[in-house]
Amino acid sequence: MLKSRNFWLAIIALIVLYLLPLGVSGYVLGLLTVAYYYAVAAMAWDLLFGFAGEVNFGPSFLVGLGAYTAAMLNHYAGTPIWLCLIAGAAAAVVGGVVLAVPALRLRGPYFGLVTLVAVLLLQNMIVLFSGLTGGEIGLDIPEVLSIDDHTNYWYALGFMTISGGLLWGLSKSSAGLILQASGQDATEAAALGFNVAKHKLAAFCISALFSGLAGGMLVFYLGTVSVGTVVDIAIGVQFIIAAVLGGRRTILGAAIGSIFLIVAGEILRPLGELSTFVVSAVALLVILFFPGGFLGALRPRGQG
Amino acid sequence: MTQNLLEVTGLVKRFGGLVAVKDISLSVAPGEILGLIGPNGSGKSTVMKCIMGIVRPNAGSVRIGGVEVAGWPTHRIARQGVGIVFQHSHPLPRQTVLEHIEIALLPDSLLKLAADRHVAERARAIAARVGLDKVMHRLPRTLPFADLRRLELAKAIARNPEVVLVDEPFAGLTSGEVADFSALIASFRAEGHAVLLVDHNVKSVAALVDRVFAMYLGERIAAGSAAQVMSDPKVRQVYLGGGIEVAARPAKAAEGAAPLLSVDKLSVSYGKAQALEDVSLHVAPSEFVSVVGLNGAGKTTLFNAICQLVPSTGTVRFGGAALGGRTAAQVARGGLVQCPESRELFGDMSVRENLDLGGQHLSPAECARQLDWLFELFPILRERQGQAARTLSGGEQQMLAIARALMMQPKLLILDEPTLGLAPVILEQLSKALERLRLTTDITVLLGEQNVTFALPHADRVYVLEHARIVWEGSPARFAAEAGAAYL
Amino acid sequence: MLALQILVDGFAVSALYGVGAVGFTLIFGVSGVLNLSHGAIMVVAAVTAWATAGGLGFGRYGGAAAGVVAGFVLSFATYLLVVRPIQGSKAIPREEKEIFVLTGTLLWGIMIQEAIAYCFSNTPKTVLPLAPGVMNILGVRTPVNEVLTAVVSWVAIGLLWLLVNRTRGGKALLAASMNPRGLTLLGFEMTSIHRKVWAIYGVLAGIAGVLLGAFLGVSSDNIGTLTASAFSIVVLGGLGSIWGSLLAAYVVGYLETLTAYLVAPSVRTVPVLLLLVLVVYLRPQGLLGRR
Repeated sequence: MLKSRNFWLAIIALIVLYLLPLGVSGYVLGLLTVAYYYAVAAMAWDLLFGFAGEVNFGPSFLVGLGAYTAAMLNHYAGTPIWLCLIAGAAAAVVGGVVLAVPALRLRGPYFGLVTLVAVLLLQNMIVLFSGLTGGEIGLDIPEVLSIDDHTNYWYALGFMTISGGLLWGLSKSSAGLILQASGQDATEAAALGFNVAKHKLAAFCISALFSGLAGGMLVFYLGTVSVGTVVDIAIGVQFIIAAVLGGRRTILGAAIGSIFLIVAGEILRPLGELSTFVVSAVALLVILFFPGGFLGALRPRGQG
Repeated sequence: MTQNLLEVTGLVKRFGGLVAVKDISLSVAPGEILGLIGPNGSGKSTVMKCIMGIVRPNAGSVRIGGVEVAGWPTHRIARQGVGIVFQHSHPLPRQTVLEHIEIALLPDSLLKLAADRHVAERARAIAARVGLDKVMHRLPRTLPFADLRRLELAKAIARNPEVVLVDEPFAGLTSGEVADFSALIASFRAEGHAVLLVDHNVKSVAALVDRVFAMYLGERIAAGSAAQVMSDPKVRQVYLGGGIEVAARPAKAAEGAAPLLSVDKLSVSYGKAQALEDVSLHVAPSEFVSVVGLNGAGKTTLFNAICQLVPSTGTVRFGGAALGGRTAAQVARGGLVQCPESRELFGDMSVRENLDLGGQHLSPAECARQLDWLFELFPILRERQGQAARTLSGGEQQMLAIARALMMQPKLLILDEPTLGLAPVILEQLSKALERLRLTTDITVLLGEQNVTFALPHADRVYVLEHARIVWEGSPARFAAEAGAAYL
Repeated sequence: MLALQILVDGFAVSALYGVGAVGFTLIFGVSGVLNLSHGAIMVVAAVTAWATAGGLGFGRYGGAAAGVVAGFVLSFATYLLVVRPIQGSKAIPREEKEIFVLTGTLLWGIMIQEAIAYCFSNTPKTVLPLAPGVMNILGVRTPVNEVLTAVVSWVAIGLLWLLVNRTRGGKALLAASMNPRGLTLLGFEMTSIHRKVWAIYGVLAGIAGVLLGAFLGVSSDNIGTLTASAFSIVVLGGLGSIWGSLLAAYVVGYLETLTAYLVAPSVRTVPVLLLLVLVVYLRPQGLLGRR
């Protein structure tokens, strides 16, 4: 069974990741720390795309809302980190609801555009109110989660494990099945007595919750927040590519994809600026020849 | 008197300016099967969608077990006790048959993380009932078509709805499977459910239904027992086009000449549904051949397969050469031109531009000559030259579609359902134009029609297509005696 | 005076946007593809013009021509290497082709962006203007290059209009955007139509890129914004409607110019984005779209 095989693969992978700090440098741990936060955002995106059937081009809108809310609260009010994270997640959920309203009304490219516009608007607002947000330069954050590489690594890995576990469990749950049915054919799901709007709205909220939390955690790791690290369309694109690369509709694939992108970028660092080129090319080749992504390619023939 | 489980009164649905459903009232009692029939575009599917809440009616009432549900969202109507079996299924790729049935049994809750234990048992019972017990743990895409339909049926009855709607219950099924499905649907009746079957024609549901309600162009045209509806003059008018006349004509086709088109054992399947089965036919040069059959019999599929628009097995030879491997456009340029049911005009272009596009493969002089000839054949098009195709009436659009196909100077013209949705007076004009075409040129025509009255007078030879197969072949003169009675 | 300035500047910017968006919408109309490597193709055209005109000594006109050729070649490569394989792939389900084309062209765009940054760095580059000097229009001192930008844009649009309305082959392209199936039935090969459309698109994107490079300057960092603005204009005008895109280009061009002059250049895109959200909610088919 695919279900249990992916599960065991994930367990083995996690054990390796938990043992990793024994053998690698703080620099590598730092890279992976960022990868884990990205992984949560990518998994949250896959819940919307792979299960609710909604193509959100603006995952960084949700991540950015969480990140900036958390950062500004801490910067200006000195609010404790945990409270900032909760506030950031709440702001992202509000953003998720704002996105869900058009999603329930609009089809295909139109919804895609709205999500894209949401990112651009957020980006413009941040630049517009630069006195408050730090504008293009960004904002420093007085507090960080930790200054120790290992502690930060544990925070990020723990956060990814818990978020991934919850999202994956949710996707396999009864509510997740109903969501998947709604994404596949909304009319048919409604005819079975399911309130499609309710389930999709919930999916947007959950996706936003984890995206916002990931954004908040990331800024408290980096100690700074800027458009380039959490809002820019390129960041959102990276989540999407990670999820498609790892295998859409699997949740876990999104995490694998995120880690792959960051690790591959690092391995190719000697190539300098060409590294992103090579990573994109590899991603494109995977999409062209293994549209099921990494997890899809693992699946035995005749199953996927 | 028992209360009707489904009661529709004065239902009206408009799409923009088009009235799709006009003041329809019908009811289904417990333990009764009602057949709702009508040709394509008659509004029968819209009635079904209004009942299910998929489209919102503009006026009228829909009562389920006495509760007014018109205007409710679909999921509330479903929970009120309506189940629907859709014609097409979109199963989830990674869930087994049993899991699909389980989904249908889940409560509409966000907080439900694991299904109750009784759900799995219920799902097994339902799977056994519809005959899926042997394939419960398989993925949908490994199943044959009939089992996918069974799965849809299983999902629809999972919540034990009082009213069951079934869209085209037997489309794509073999005769053995039809018998199985009939028995299943009859068992719903035996349990006291109210069942509404929606289909193109009376024939396919006649054995199963208690009553039939026939629609045409959004209106009720007949209701009663299957036999009554089948003999109803209005129904016969709609399906057959009134009485059957055959005009005597000189035989133009030379006997024994090599056929221009020969089709041998052509089969088509859409996914797993067999849409055409071992169809063989031939058309001689200058012959006018009609393929008659009700909506859904497979005429359009046959023509699309001949023109290489859909993949098929079997051989199609045109002018002696096999067409397999050619693109649809190559086939069209080779002189085998189709004028499709859907017309496929360029709506925002003028009549003249549409015709010019048809004549693009000709030299300008030839194109002009062809245009003159066509304007003589269809004078109305000359007047409408500058008008956008979209703004033409239905009859004018049909003439334009035929004229555009004729601009290609086809050796063989395939006309698919030219009469679809046209008023009788237009039919007469169209009929005259075809007659002129036949008498003044040596064009070869393959006509597909449901309307027998329209199809027969021009034809040299007739094929009857039923349920994806050719069931009769002969001269129009023999049609009334040999195939007419069984046609409806 | 300010009003005239806005009128003149807005006209040139809008014309430029129009050329960029028309090709984008043509491809969507005919083949249903939203090409997210659009910005990258424009920037490649501009950078090629910049590099060949200066470094290789092609001169301003030779450079401009080389830029257009680069746009054309790259557009064809996008079609052959990315779009066609996805459309023809049997492993990708039909209903997911759209997201795959979007992701594929996006990745392709990023590859191009990185390649430009690697070869030429991401510093802004200004293509040699086609004509130097300043002239006076209605009392507004206007660079000759700006006038030329508007003129060349309109000539390109005019030629496209002539092509699709006055030539036999061009009519077929227009027809393809209305009803591809109808065209197949009339014996036209859709693959050849697609090739022609991508060729036309490449030339238009090349012209738009070169003009943009000479008028405002480009950098590989602009690629995302350029794609997004073309996407916005096309949706605003109605997906697939060529004349809708032109109208939308003018709405966007003037709205941006107005904002830049009357409020602040830094917020020039904000009103456009708000308008876009409003249009998408109230009239999802766009200004001139029909559905």
